Amino acid sequence: MSQISAPSRPRVTSAGKVGSEANQRAPRNWKPFLLLVPAFLIVSLFFLAPLVDVFIRSITDPRLGLQNYVWLFTTETNITVTVRTFGTALLVTVVCVLLAYPYAYLMTIVGDRTRNLLQLFVMLPLWTSILVRTLAWMVLLQDTGPINGFLETAFGIGPLPLIRSTFGVALAMSQVLLPFMVLPLYSAMSKIDKRLLPAASNLGARPITAFFTVYLPLSRPGIFAGSITVFILGLGFYIIPSLLGSSKEIMISALMYQQISVFLMWGQGTALGIFLLAATVLILVVVGRLSKGASMFPGVEK
Amino acid sequence: MRMKPYLKRSLTVVVVGGLSAVLVAGCSSGTPEASAPERDLGTPVAGEIGDGVLKGVTLTYAASGGIFQDGQTKAAWEPFAEKSGATFLQDAFDSGKLKAMVDSGNVSWDVVNTTQFDTARGCGTLYEEYDYSQIDMSKIPEGTVTDKCMVPNILYGLVVAYNTDAFGDNPPTSAADFFDTKKFPGKRTVSQSTYVDPQTAEFALVAQGKDPSTITTDDIDGAFDMYRSLGSDVIGWTTGAQAQQQLESGEAVMGLVWSGRGYGAAAAGAPIAPMWDDWMIMVDSTGIPKGIKDKQAAFAAVNYYIGAEQQAKMTELTSYGPVNTDAKPKVDKKLGTWLTTEHMATGHAPNVDFWVKNYDVLATAWAGWATGS
Repeated sequence: MSQISAPSRPRVTSAGKVGSEANQRAPRNWKPFLLLVPAFLIVSLFFLAPLVDVFIRSITDPRLGLQNYVWLFTTETNITVTVRTFGTALLVTVVCVLLAYPYAYLMTIVGDRTRNLLQLFVMLPLWTSILVRTLAWMVLLQDTGPINGFLETAFGIGPLPLIRSTFGVALAMSQVLLPFMVLPLYSAMSKIDKRLLPAASNLGARPITAFFTVYLPLSRPGIFAGSITVFILGLGFYIIPSLLGSSKEIMISALMYQQISVFLMWGQGTALGIFLLAATVLILVVVGRLSKGASMFPGVEK
Repeated sequence: MRMKPYLKRSLTVVVVGGLSAVLVAGCSSGTPEASAPERDLGTPVAGEIGDGVLKGVTLTYAASGGIFQDGQTKAAWEPFAEKSGATFLQDAFDSGKLKAMVDSGNVSWDVVNTTQFDTARGCGTLYEEYDYSQIDMSKIPEGTVTDKCMVPNILYGLVVAYNTDAFGDNPPTSAADFFDTKKFPGKRTVSQSTYVDPQTAEFALVAQGKDPSTITTDDIDGAFDMYRSLGSDVIGWTTGAQAQQQLESGEAVMGLVWSGRGYGAAAAGAPIAPMWDDWMIMVDSTGIPKGIKDKQAAFAAVNYYIGAEQQAKMTELTSYGPVNTDAKPKVDKKLGTWLTTEHMATGHAPNVDFWVKNYDVLATAWAGWATGS
């Protein structure tokens, strides 16, 4: 970085010389950016170009105008499903924070071998096919499944609605998304100086006070990074809500699929897509403002 | 930091080469293909094809998979390929994918299985019009051809399947009985799948005493409200397999399901029987995607598929009704009670034109119904 930024600092010799020097060096400075070309090509060809196409469709299909967006905001179904989608993603984020926080903390205080083992356990779900995992949940959670069977024989309570309910959907989604919470939390916590907590109690703080005034604020960057990742990934879930939920748990991605592949109303389907993207970007910006100083991307320092 | 000259040159080559490759790829799509030469296949007779007349031709059939597509393949597509010399491939159908193929001018399916509403709605834009002179339509059941872009694929039904343990002595005898939770207590299952099904709405309207052929757009919301009024007595099914499972497990004592799925539950040993007093006649379309290379070969394949022998075998393998009036499938007594072809007099035909014309209203109502709002 210093290589590139150094020449831009003007040297105080004479005004004319500064300008000519800048001109002379300018061609040299952009060359490292050639390294970006492959990534730029891939992103623009396979992401930006389709995205532009999607946006154009959303305002031209079936005719030029904003009718698809009018439809989006005036149809009750869309509003219900959007609220439900954001609600489910938020619920999953909260569940993940609550589950991942103690887990990540444990990872910072154990030895190397145990830590590797803990890391392995959290990564395992990521290495299993999402379909296999979801089908396993279906077997476990169904009315005649082992969990309900156990509840019935041990406690005599009738089949609980574990499947085809928000509970089942949130449970399976949390399992999939947990690694995205644990890893940034761990990376933030491992940088916290362990001596700060004994220092706080030396100064008379009770453990709870020490946690809330010292440890929690210091681990905030991890919470932000993990929450943003989990929340945004959670917005786009399709398979889990449709297999483990009923029609009352369907999320916005299923609505898009229906518009695109069943109704063949691509204008409305793409408008839904653009809306979700815009909402996501908006959330990123707002949270970015709130979490000033904290990096929103795991592993990236500011 | 200064770049070595050869590195600079090769980088330029890579960038320029990459860009031009992209440009070439972008421009090469959409080149029109030369249409296949017309062969003389003679007068079409359903279920017949000349020996080796389609050597070198490759056709792809896209349908909904499972035992259904396997059965069709065994009954018709494999023998057709063997006799005509053509190669027959199988793929999974998706309407959105078909639209993308047709829009980009790169269609890789030749014959597809979809709903009669899909072909009626996309006739001329997504589907080719048939040249019925190349197909022997003489044995097709009356009233099953609902647009110019379809030949019937199967004849089945949306029927009430009920639990005989619950209602054996006093079975339901009308569409209205499906909504009568006092006389027939228990949970009902009905389609809440992503796939829009106008006949689910028509069934509720029949229960209201309306005639599907004279319904108006004002009736649509009322139809779904009928189901909503069942409250906690209605559970949804999102796939045919789920409908069957709900009937088999006894979770639902009654269901408005595809006849093949009702039979599936009965064949698995569940005490499930069909109610034939009010049922919705369903016909699937065999469609030809717009812009395929060899229409004549696709027509010949469809003409072979609708043969009496092929249809009989298809029914034996899939339990779905044949679309040839001469087809005499050898079925056991249980499957016999589920075959729609015996009960055409009490079936209600869909108002295809109405649903195609008012598809927007239907789609909005269905999206609301299928997302639980």
